Amino acid sequence: MSLAQPRSTPTWLALLLPLTVAVIFIGIWHVAVSWTQSLIFPRPWEVVEGMLELATKGVLHKYIISSLFRVLWSFAIAALLGVPFGLLLGWWRPANLAFNPILQLLRPISPIAWIPLSILWFGLSEAAPMFLIFLSSFFPITLSSMAAVRNIQPVYLRAASNFGLGRFRLFTAVILPATLPQILTGLRIALGIAWLVVVAAEMVVVNPKAGGLGYLINDSRSAGRYDLVVAGMVLIGVIGLILDLLIRQLEKFDEVRWAYATQ
Amino acid sequence: MKSAGPTPRNDLPLRHTVPNGLAVSLRDLRMTFPGQRGQPPVEVIAGIDLDVHVGEFVVLVGPSGCGKSTVLNILGGFQQASGGQIVVGGQPVHGPDPRRIFVFQENGVFPWLNVVDNIGFGLSKHSRAEREQLIAHYVEMVGLKGFEKAYPRELSGGMRQRVELARALAANPEIIWMDEPFGALDYLTRLKMRSDLVRIWQSERKTIVFVTHDIDEAVQLADRVVVLTPRPAKIAAIVPIDLPRPRDMDAPDYLHARDRIFEAMGNLALARGR
Amino acid sequence: MSLKSVALLGSLTILGGISAVYFHYNQEPRRNFQIGFLPVTCHLTCPVTHFINEQMHGEGTYDPRRFNGFPEMKEAFISKDLHATFIIAPLAMKMREQGVPIKIVHLGHRDGTALMVHKDSPIRTIKDLQGKKIAIPSYYSNQHLILYRTFQREGVRYDKNLLIETPPPEMPVNLATKQVDAIIAGEPLMAKTEMDGYGRVLFLSKDVWPNFISCVLAVREDVIRERRFEVQDLVDGIARSGKWIDEDKDTTMSHRMQAADIAAKKQYFNQKPELIRYVLSKPPDRVKYTNLKVRRADFEEIAALGVAAGIFNGTVTFDDYADTSFIPEGREIDAWKWELKQ
Ligand SMILES: Nc1ncnc2c1ncn2[C@@H]1O[C@H](COP(=O)(O)OP(=O)(O)O)[C@@H](O)[C@H]1O
Ligand SMILES: [Mg+2]
Repeated sequence: MSLAQPRSTPTWLALLLPLTVAVIFIGIWHVAVSWTQSLIFPRPWEVVEGMLELATKGVLHKYIISSLFRVLWSFAIAALLGVPFGLLLGWWRPANLAFNPILQLLRPISPIAWIPLSILWFGLSEAAPMFLIFLSSFFPITLSSMAAVRNIQPVYLRAASNFGLGRFRLFTAVILPATLPQILTGLRIALGIAWLVVVAAEMVVVNPKAGGLGYLINDSRSAGRYDLVVAGMVLIGVIGLILDLLIRQLEKFDEVRWAYATQ
Repeated sequence: MKSAGPTPRNDLPLRHTVPNGLAVSLRDLRMTFPGQRGQPPVEVIAGIDLDVHVGEFVVLVGPSGCGKSTVLNILGGFQQASGGQIVVGGQPVHGPDPRRIFVFQENGVFPWLNVVDNIGFGLSKHSRAEREQLIAHYVEMVGLKGFEKAYPRELSGGMRQRVELARALAANPEIIWMDEPFGALDYLTRLKMRSDLVRIWQSERKTIVFVTHDIDEAVQLADRVVVLTPRPAKIAAIVPIDLPRPRDMDAPDYLHARDRIFEAMGNLALARGR
Repeated sequence: MSLKSVALLGSLTILGGISAVYFHYNQEPRRNFQIGFLPVTCHLTCPVTHFINEQMHGEGTYDPRRFNGFPEMKEAFISKDLHATFIIAPLAMKMREQGVPIKIVHLGHRDGTALMVHKDSPIRTIKDLQGKKIAIPSYYSNQHLILYRTFQREGVRYDKNLLIETPPPEMPVNLATKQVDAIIAGEPLMAKTEMDGYGRVLFLSKDVWPNFISCVLAVREDVIRERRFEVQDLVDGIARSGKWIDEDKDTTMSHRMQAADIAAKKQYFNQKPELIRYVLSKPPDRVKYTNLKVRRADFEEIAALGVAAGIFNGTVTFDDYADTSFIPEGREIDAWKWELKQ
């Protein structure tokens, strides 16, 4: 392979730089809170203490599990429905003509705007927040799958028709693998959005016993515990990062790597 | 060099059973594209008559944009002509057909499959053992031994064209359409690819209709060179190249044939001046 | 391994694992009687009744569900996921006006609302509130109507545009950051601003509108019809709790302190016990839990004010939205015989 190696930064530098930025950031945070003598905003250390408090009370991992449960299932259902639907819209023009306008209309509506309806429809069950998360990821998944079909290089379709593929094999042997990279990218973005929406979704009353990280934020806000609000934010950030790292691993497979820039 | 090469395939039934021995027969082929956004219609092919015999290697040459790809696309069934009679394999063309495989100008190898799976793409009806044997045969024929598990993105442009050629051959078609398959390759690779293609054609004896704008390529490969005029394309001349292969590029007969093609393209002065 | 198998196995493993842990933690079945409440002392009898029931009978008859704001609570009530809820009285009446079949069966409390300004604020009297931005829980709240009523009496110009609907739990921060000039809602959120050192009481509801009602217990009509026995049990329990809380109000205030400790728990208000203790004791008549029967005169005053303030159209009457049959005049309920084990 003739890939030119990009000038590589030494590992110690790649570790040191972000660490320095983090330390400076936390330092500024601490100094700013101390200077302004804020009664409300917590210091970094108080946030860590807040997390430890939640962990020792045994609710931290419970909340994390609850949020993951809601987000991952909603996302999975959105993917299961959105990918085939998007492929259909991309492939079959009448379906596209029929559904694209309404999709484009619903897409820009923020999940927060759906909160009243979701409570009216689903009440206090887990379905209410999950519906919001589902919506937030269903549209990007559907639209990226649709675009993926439209972006298939015509030469692959011509080669496929030359070999006399039936509809089924055309789908499994060409359309699906050709669209997979873009579908995967769509899924990755949608998972990020789904996780982003967890706070808003859990503003819808969730079962306080199950809780959740968004619930933690909303609830701590009511109780005036801003240290726990920030703790919730930090946890959401960290877990979001881990989810993204995990799904990124899929992009390394040979089945899809061809479509991503090779560096 | 132990390029005895793989043994020719005798096991496959030859389906070259066209009554008059013609693989392709074109009469008054015409193509006009409807003008887009208020533009007048574009006439691209203005009446072509051409016969290609079974087993023959015919090369179409012409300046860029004259309509070569369009002719081949119509033969391959990817485009519908606006007029004329198009008979391939004794029957009118209704669309792409696995008995005639296209090798595309822009490489049509599937990037999500490795070399072996690409070559075996057209062999889904064969048994597993047959498939494996055919794949191994063509991997060797196109010189990709050792790269069986490689993915297209790990191969050079020339190797990718070899994969596509092998994929076409493995499907055992009667005809192979090739649209400037070596156009994107560097000069030395192109030379090597041409001589390999000739060797393969000699062992497989498929009918090949090959499109290029490169006159040397045409003279090195063809039984007959069909020279097209600039758009709208008509046949300017048909030049038979009756030279033994592999061809010596410095032989007087070779140069003579070349000159005739240049002449037909209206560029003799240019050729002489070289 | 191929992408397909890794993605499939990976997602199944992760989903399966997460689900298993989730259901392990949340295997308790949801009780089939849900009551909404907000973390305000207006709704104090909700946690107290639930907790005492649980302690006395091993399990409560219903599940209390905490909300942060009234809009979500109202929607959950309409969607029939709540069977009953503590709710601001005018909102319940408005829902009835809009055709939602519910009835007010009991009061939550009397008094217990305060109007707070920032401690540095120039606002010293009610008259100073003219032209100031005030956060209220909802237009359909008695906090709105108490302002309307007080402004009329004091000759302050009433401007609806200066009233900002805000979920009560968010009000303290809005005052601390001076996004509004004053906030008015149920305790202990108002007292919190005082304790945290940035709020000052401008008035307590008891001083401008004695025996002020802000919240009531409302129940769906279909639940009253089909599960009358459970509703009766609930109303009795709430009444018992009210009596119990106020039993020693003017002496030791021990029950008030116990109630504060119960309500402060994580599953109820999730607030500091000292805060609730403070509200319930300084002064003890800041909020009251006696005299909680549903009475015509109280509601007709609210209805008339609501029509005047433009939030009701006056089409529903006391008999439409109230059901006094659970604790009719003449029937008296005793306090719990129960003490919190320390
Ligand atoms: N679908 C089309 N619509 C309109 N014009 C076309 C279309 N396809 C090709 N052409 C025009 O036809 C001419 C011949 O194209 P082509 O056959 O690709 O030429 P080449 O000889 O280079 O292969 C070009 O001028 C091109 O612009
Ligand atoms: Mg071309």
